Amino acid sequence: MPAAAKPQSSRKVAARSSRTAAKPKPAAKQVAQAALVVGGGVAGMQASLDLANQGFKVYLVEKSPSIGGRMAMLDKTFPTLDCSACILTPRLSEVARHPNIKLLTYTDLEGVIGKVGNFKVRVIKRARYVKEELCAGCGACAKECPVEVPNEFDQGLGFRKAIYVGFPQSTPSTYTIDMESCIKCKRCERACERKAIDLEMEDERVEFDVGAIIIATGYRLFDVRRYYRLGYGRLPDVINAMEYERLINAAGPTQGHLIRLSDGKTPQSIGFVQCVGARDVNKGVPYCSRVCCMYGIKNAVMAKEHNPSTDVTIYYADIRAFGKGFEEFYEMARTRFGVKFLRGRAAEIIEDVRTGKLHLRAEDTETAQPQEFEHDMVVICPGIQPPDDLDKIAEKLGVAMSNDGYVDVVHRYFGPVDTKMPGIFVCGCADGPKDIPDSVTAGSAAAMKASIILAKGGAA
Amino acid sequence: MMTEKAEPRIGVFVCHCGHNIAGVVDVAKVVESAKSLPHVVLSTDHMFMCSDAGQQLIKDRIKEQKLNRVVVASCSPRMHEPTFRRVVEDAGLNRYLFDQVNIREHVSWCHMRQPKEATDKAIDLVRMSVARAAELESLPIKSVSVTPRTLVVGGGIAGLRASLDIADRGFEAVLVERMPELGGHVRKWTHLFPADESGEQIIAPLVRQAEHHKLVRVMKDSEVVEFGGYIGNFTAKIKNHKTGMVKEVDVGTVIVATGFEPFRPFGYYEYGQHPDIITLAELQEMTPRADLIRPSDGKKVKKLAFIGCVGSREAGKLGHEHCSRHCCSAVAKAAADLRDRVDEVVIMYQDIRTYGRGHEELHRLARSKLVIYSKFPKEKKPVVQIANGRIRITWYDVLSGDNLEYEPDLLVLASAMIPPADVAETSKMFSLTRSADGFFNPEHIKLAPLTTHTAGVMIAGAAQAAKNASESVVDASGAAAKAVGLMARGNVEIESTVSHVIPELCSSCHTCVTACPYGAIAMDTKKSPPVALVTEAKCKGCGTCAASCPSSAIIMYHSTDEQILTMVEAYLCPSTQTTGGVA
Amino acid sequence: MSTTTAESSPAVNWEPRIIAYCCNWCSYAGADLAGTSRIQYPPNARILRVNCTGRIDPEFILVALEMGADGVLVSGCHPGDCHYTSGNLKLRARWALMQKTIEQAGVDPRRVRLQWASASEAQIFADGVKELTEQVRKLGPIRSEWK
Repeated sequence: MPAAAKPQSSRKVAARSSRTAAKPKPAAKQVAQAALVVGGGVAGMQASLDLANQGFKVYLVEKSPSIGGRMAMLDKTFPTLDCSACILTPRLSEVARHPNIKLLTYTDLEGVIGKVGNFKVRVIKRARYVKEELCAGCGACAKECPVEVPNEFDQGLGFRKAIYVGFPQSTPSTYTIDMESCIKCKRCERACERKAIDLEMEDERVEFDVGAIIIATGYRLFDVRRYYRLGYGRLPDVINAMEYERLINAAGPTQGHLIRLSDGKTPQSIGFVQCVGARDVNKGVPYCSRVCCMYGIKNAVMAKEHNPSTDVTIYYADIRAFGKGFEEFYEMARTRFGVKFLRGRAAEIIEDVRTGKLHLRAEDTETAQPQEFEHDMVVICPGIQPPDDLDKIAEKLGVAMSNDGYVDVVHRYFGPVDTKMPGIFVCGCADGPKDIPDSVTAGSAAAMKASIILAKGGAA
Repeated sequence: MMTEKAEPRIGVFVCHCGHNIAGVVDVAKVVESAKSLPHVVLSTDHMFMCSDAGQQLIKDRIKEQKLNRVVVASCSPRMHEPTFRRVVEDAGLNRYLFDQVNIREHVSWCHMRQPKEATDKAIDLVRMSVARAAELESLPIKSVSVTPRTLVVGGGIAGLRASLDIADRGFEAVLVERMPELGGHVRKWTHLFPADESGEQIIAPLVRQAEHHKLVRVMKDSEVVEFGGYIGNFTAKIKNHKTGMVKEVDVGTVIVATGFEPFRPFGYYEYGQHPDIITLAELQEMTPRADLIRPSDGKKVKKLAFIGCVGSREAGKLGHEHCSRHCCSAVAKAAADLRDRVDEVVIMYQDIRTYGRGHEELHRLARSKLVIYSKFPKEKKPVVQIANGRIRITWYDVLSGDNLEYEPDLLVLASAMIPPADVAETSKMFSLTRSADGFFNPEHIKLAPLTTHTAGVMIAGAAQAAKNASESVVDASGAAAKAVGLMARGNVEIESTVSHVIPELCSSCHTCVTACPYGAIAMDTKKSPPVALVTEAKCKGCGTCAASCPSSAIIMYHSTDEQILTMVEAYLCPSTQTTGGVA
Repeated sequence: MSTTTAESSPAVNWEPRIIAYCCNWCSYAGADLAGTSRIQYPPNARILRVNCTGRIDPEFILVALEMGADGVLVSGCHPGDCHYTSGNLKLRARWALMQKTIEQAGVDPRRVRLQWASASEAQIFADGVKELTEQVRKLGPIRSEWK
């Protein structure tokens, strides 16, 4: 079993600025028996586990305070309606307690030099102002904190304190102080019995060597404000699908009560608008986002489950229920749950100020009639886009990008998880939209390819 | 083998699972009712018992209250039993001293509109579990070594890729293919997507590498005829059809990559009634040439039509309810390719599912070449008639609202991907379960798509569900990672839930010897009279022997008669109630 | 030795109590799927998980009836699909004999039901519980039948 590589140095960025970077190693080619995984969502976690289970050391770098990625925000998953947190949580703890995985959360990739078999990686572990080794995640600090700011994890619908964890299953469970909001009252410091809080903490640079790298940076949702006529951002009861996920989640800002943001009332009629920021050449997103049809149907079913008398309509272009069990789920949504499906792109949503109702204008393409439908709430189902910082990460790693902003792969058959830079692999949504099982599978596949390099000695 | 039983001290932990349980079941009432049960020293609840905080709660309470049995009432043990077993183990308890109650899948989710009855049911189930917990006993934790060799069943694109990855990683792969050639369906196809290569161009290099790799043993014309053993230690008998020779191989892990079969849609759209009505697979296999030629008379095809979803997406028709995933994009690619060689192409579809990277582009390319797409309604499919040797299609076009008709020279039916005809035998051979689509079930549809419920057996490619060739390649590498993970570690823990014969009670009747499906029980002739003896490594823990023993001489560990019957008693005649309390 | 169908005034609040023995691989998973698919069925059955229906000793059924179960459901993999190759066939072989035995004890054999439901057959599982519950409801409480 390969010996685990240790971080070579760990020092304060401020303390030393000299960059007498790596001296060339004298001996023959030596392969670091470790890998770097960038991104701690389902794909990155799977890749990490599959490498660590082979005995390789894995540095898992995640920019946010917790691993879990987007899946941690979801309420239920299609097509089985399994609760997302329930199936994800064991995975989070498996990663966190794996002896071969070094978890580096709240950490950014600073730079990478070298080549396949021998990359030198520098990351910046941002100061969270709470010592990971001391914090037990008890939350006594957050109780005392007087500052409340919108919680990013809840899409800004709920609040968190300036010292916070995003969600209950946050991994690690270490709290983080958001210095931009902190008023330095030091109440948290006094509340913490374990003396874990360190307001003087500084960012820390960590350097280590790896033989292979896996990019698993995930996705961001298309900003639906760009479709001005759909009213998102202007009309409070037009929300996006991720906001909806948090609204129906028991651990979310409303404890799982599905309500209108305008008046707190339970919506009796909900419309779901598909293909917003997907399959639209004019908006620079010509491709299909693969997941929206199914999460749209799943969310429609959940609306029915929360309140069976709710009138639920999905406005779609094509229903792409292509994966295992998907078509069957679509059929169940139609027949058993009574979700209505209307083929037509929503053109415009306006608010009737007298009644507070939303009027959705769409052409029913099956009857070729432009129509107007009334809803209490409209959920926009945005497509998937590459995350904001993917281009910067790709530049640091020297990997090629395709013109739609995703990481380019060598070949769909001969190298579906290989980037054009030897020794660097890609999985999950970093090379294009994917659902959870496809992301997990790609994570395993990327780990397979990386392990061949680590075991062989760097030959790509 | 077992230690002296200490007085049980049981802790009961009830999970809210957010709203999933607590939205229906009165959790506080369940917690309260458990407090008065025999041996229960603690009963409590948590929002998410599987979260770090919930797990910590269990560990802390085990230590504080010196618990020696733990009951968690939450979701299905098929999901979280491993999680909680590890939690109690971390706190120093044997994993077999844990029992899980399923109050989500079996209670809150299936009795959503009956909160009172659901709560009563949850209370009963917890009482039953507590009774069982009191009877639970520690079992030894056993681990076995893993033979560093993988059996790959099926030499299509997935099997080839998996074998090569395993071999490149330094482990042996035995690749079994029943046909005389490797390469499966993909080899025969001309219009792969989104790549521009033909199937032959994709497959040939893989076949070459597999046949020359010193760690890949290719066995063509061969089939697995017998399979046995357990994770890390399987034995397969492989028969060569040509020579009739049977070889035995020991392997540690298995990847089942048996793929699919293109559905031959007899009874749909006059298939089989006219030589110019063919399936998409048959079109793919036609030899490419400058012109597209009609099978009937060898004349050039001028008008080409496709019909989608043939034998797919048929609600209520077993084995044909699923979407076949690859056809929409394959049709778009074929139509775009062939458009230059014919005068007109019409595609009749229900939904256009060109979901993948580069697929939408193919769809757009087809449209830009003036391929005609026409949507037909789900409930009113096109009608094909043959009159005077001509094919005539009539259908309702949803988007124009018109009834249309067309007489193509060649009609291509995009038929479903279905499991191979002998999938039932494969499923039996490797103890795999199948879902309604007929393909194999993964261990978990979201997070464990490549492993199965049979430890050590993985699935890859279209064996798991309809999917396209490029997706199968990714699957294959992923499944290889699972196999390599087991082989690289070298050993793996196995279940201790095996049966055991109490020699003093055995009446030497041989009933169990014939009952055991695995030949794990034999007569120990060293004893006089000979008594039955279980070879633990061969025992899979079904308990058939225990049920058939007329002398009650067989203990099925972790599923003893007492452990089962005490649950029945706890439900029907609870001891805390003074009277029977039944009607 | 005829069975008696108890029309004799069941208590007002009487609800059938049913023990359901399910194998881990097919029917227990099928019951899980019924839950995740939110298929609703009567809350009268209490599921006991065994690895295989082959584990089910006829005694388990007799004891349950004797202790007051109004019905017993046994649900396993389809013949030929057993996770343990043939455990369910062994159970099926015992079944006829067991039915005879309970009949001789004066219990209506319609109180016990053997069904095959795979991991994907959530509806079959749920229907099985529903049908047995209704059947037993018609037959009335078991106490009236024991001789």
